[in-house]
Amino acid sequence: MSVTEYDVIIIGAGVAGLTAGAFLAGRGFKVALVTTGEPTACLSTGCIDVCSRDHNPLTGIKELPLAHPFHLAPEKTIREALNNFQAAMLDMGIPYTGALEENRLVLSALGTFKTSCLVPSTMEAAPQDAKDSIHIISFAGLKDFYPSYIISRRKNTKVSVYDAGVSSTMGIASHFEEKEFLEKFIIWLEKIDIQEDKIAFPAVLGLESAAKIINTISILTGKPVFEIPTIPPSMPGRRLFNALKNYFRKKGGDLYWSWPVIGVEKSGKIIEAVMTTSKGRPTSLNGKAFILATGSFVGGGLTATREAIIENVFNLPVHFPGTRETWFDNDYFSFNHGIGKAGIIADSSLRPTGSPWENIFVCGGILADTEIIKNGCGHGLALATAHVAAKSCMEYIR
Amino acid sequence: MIKTDVIIIGGGATGCGIARDLALRGIPHCLIEKGDFAAGATGACHGLLHSGGRYVVTDPIAARECYEENLILRRIGEKCVEQTGGLFVRLPGDSKRFREVFLRGCEEVGIPTEVISSTKAIDLIPNLNPEIEEAIKVPDCSIDPFRLCMLNIRTSQLRGGVIFTRHKVTEIVKSHGRCIGIKATDQATGEVREIRGNIIVNATGAWANMIASLAGSEVPMTLSKGSLVITNHRLTNMVINRLRPPSDGDIIVPNEAVCLAGTTSLAVDNPDKISIGSPEVDTIISEAGRMIPHFNNTRIIRAFSGVRPLLKSNKMDSHEISRGFQILDHANGMYSIVGGKLSTFRLMAEKMVDVIMDSFKLKRACETAEIPLEGQEELSGYPLSKRLADMKNIVCECELVNRNEVERIIYQTGTKNVGDIQHRTRLGMGPCQGGFCTFRALGIMNDMSVISPEQSMEMLRGFLQRRFRGIRYALWGDQLREEQLVEYIYLGILAMEKPQ
Repeated sequence: MSVTEYDVIIIGAGVAGLTAGAFLAGRGFKVALVTTGEPTACLSTGCIDVCSRDHNPLTGIKELPLAHPFHLAPEKTIREALNNFQAAMLDMGIPYTGALEENRLVLSALGTFKTSCLVPSTMEAAPQDAKDSIHIISFAGLKDFYPSYIISRRKNTKVSVYDAGVSSTMGIASHFEEKEFLEKFIIWLEKIDIQEDKIAFPAVLGLESAAKIINTISILTGKPVFEIPTIPPSMPGRRLFNALKNYFRKKGGDLYWSWPVIGVEKSGKIIEAVMTTSKGRPTSLNGKAFILATGSFVGGGLTATREAIIENVFNLPVHFPGTRETWFDNDYFSFNHGIGKAGIIADSSLRPTGSPWENIFVCGGILADTEIIKNGCGHGLALATAHVAAKSCMEYIR
Repeated sequence: MIKTDVIIIGGGATGCGIARDLALRGIPHCLIEKGDFAAGATGACHGLLHSGGRYVVTDPIAARECYEENLILRRIGEKCVEQTGGLFVRLPGDSKRFREVFLRGCEEVGIPTEVISSTKAIDLIPNLNPEIEEAIKVPDCSIDPFRLCMLNIRTSQLRGGVIFTRHKVTEIVKSHGRCIGIKATDQATGEVREIRGNIIVNATGAWANMIASLAGSEVPMTLSKGSLVITNHRLTNMVINRLRPPSDGDIIVPNEAVCLAGTTSLAVDNPDKISIGSPEVDTIISEAGRMIPHFNNTRIIRAFSGVRPLLKSNKMDSHEISRGFQILDHANGMYSIVGGKLSTFRLMAEKMVDVIMDSFKLKRACETAEIPLEGQEELSGYPLSKRLADMKNIVCECELVNRNEVERIIYQTGTKNVGDIQHRTRLGMGPCQGGFCTFRALGIMNDMSVISPEQSMEMLRGFLQRRFRGIRYALWGDQLREEQLVEYIYLGILAMEKPQ
């Protein structure tokens, strides 16, 4: 077995893991990040939801129940985390718009409004009320986008359909990266008489270059242009993930892609190493500290059995509401399913409580009492808690 | 107002079977169903075409009926019956005496059996518990109850039968003490339709007493809830029964790509208000796991319940109540047909129509046992090779249903209900339980202008609520993971709000 020494080992390549990793690597620590594969961030809209309970996210956070992990991050830290994120994304060519004092609205593929704090610049021009008329450009055969859902909410909507020759989100997005395709598309678009206030696209305008493409179309048509996030596979989610991944590497972090953790070495109160494997090659990654950012159930950090909920890497104690009857409400739309509270409880330095290990820090969706859907706090909470965890980790190593 | 000879209420297997029988005997008729076909116990059962073995010890008459019907359905409905064969397996500790009584019972009824060693049984079904003592082979089959109902209705429609689904009977019209017709409300539009007929047949299963009471009559019944779970794999190619007296979780049936296991038997009062308890689900899994150990680890994609309309009995354990059926003459122009089983639906229909022919003083023999079900090629002609032909346009990835197929069903049936597409194509029946494809199917219906944008939104909401009722009893492991993703998509990415 090969052995490699690191200062910090991070498990999980979502928003929390990658930003904690970039923070530490940027400060000269030797960081390894192990992941089984693509994170759930790829499935997301790419928007950074901080707290949707109030028009002002900071006010919303204050209203969260006492047990909510957002209370482990002081306002100053949240602000720092978001500023760092915005600077990093600008650096990577996918700028984000928004401020901590005011939520923005993003038009959803159902025509409803999704509340978020920082949004990719490609969604900046989305209408903020019912007034603007919009012209949707859809694509023939695209199976994950149906303008009719939007028309049911916004009567002043027109639709034009372009035949891209392919019908999947990924397929169309990769075509938009080709110069010839884009030119042909623009010729088609110029012939359309657009009377509406704004132009909307399903989020397929390129794998990486959406911000530039939107700019081009906006200048050409003289109208504000924006993307509508689609169900997975979601291009804005992938762009976010790729930018975070590249930023982490740029800061000098080592990424162990497709390396699942298969075991843990411990001694006394210390975790010494995680064992991982790729293509049958076992490797021991030794670290002084470990950051667990494996996400909740979808991300693979937690697993529910019929009797209990288990944390998959270190077998940390998991807080959950009770027997499985209590995990879900009968009403699907209750926004109050008990399962949203399941996770790891952490102290103010983001060490898991009730576990013997002193060199593990947890952050992101795996934390207990997040109720991410109810509170609209997914990626924002990941950024804030990753910042706290990374700082605690830094202090611990020093 | 529509005038006909016979009004059938209920579009389960019995009602559809009666419609087919009447059609073949040339009697004008009209069938009213409040939901879609097979919406009650018919669609909420194992989909097991019994060999009769299950009942030889407790109920030899029902066992004989099952076996005779088994032979007939294999002959007339080859496209909706899969001749899987079945095993009764004896586990360590199961009574050897029961085995003897079972074999003797099968012999008396005439059910062919073959006793095979555990080694031979495991050769047949590699997933079987290696500890089984022995197995007895019987001619059990798997049957698709949705397809069965639709094929029966097809015969009726080809011969002028009038069919209304999604119409709820709200009134039985009477004149001088006799039932002369019904009023039914279109569930979509609220429009009320009046239909007049000489005879009314109440084939509403668990709802029979409710319908009878509209005519001032009564149907004494014991309602027994049976729950089942569906796996995401076909763990066995044969029906597996436990060789012991009928009990909870003693049957596993393969159906297309999945398996169904059950059931339980609990008395209930109201068929519209049933729920499943976690202990029931746990019992089914652990009992099925005794026969196929892999059942304990396999992914359960849904749990559901049906209500058996059993004949009234004083027996405490509803497992022991007869699975026989009964025709009640309310002596006011209405008949109720209750009890029975999916396996014997054709026989029930035959006996019912015999009574109707007598009362009309007509003589024409039943032909439903001889003539194969019509339209089988067309309705079941959706094999895997066809589904894979057009991968680009796959709408439902779990069951490989493509856009053309969805569009074809919409054209053919003119349906405004996404559930009708699901029953006819298996769209949404796989592991994600329609989490992705229903959003698409409703979008397609909207593109085709069969529903309005507002309706598609409302239906999506209704669908998610209904879907959740089915899966919430199977939420752990990967299924919980999938559910969390679907919840994130609809409530997070698509920002669906709380219904007003």
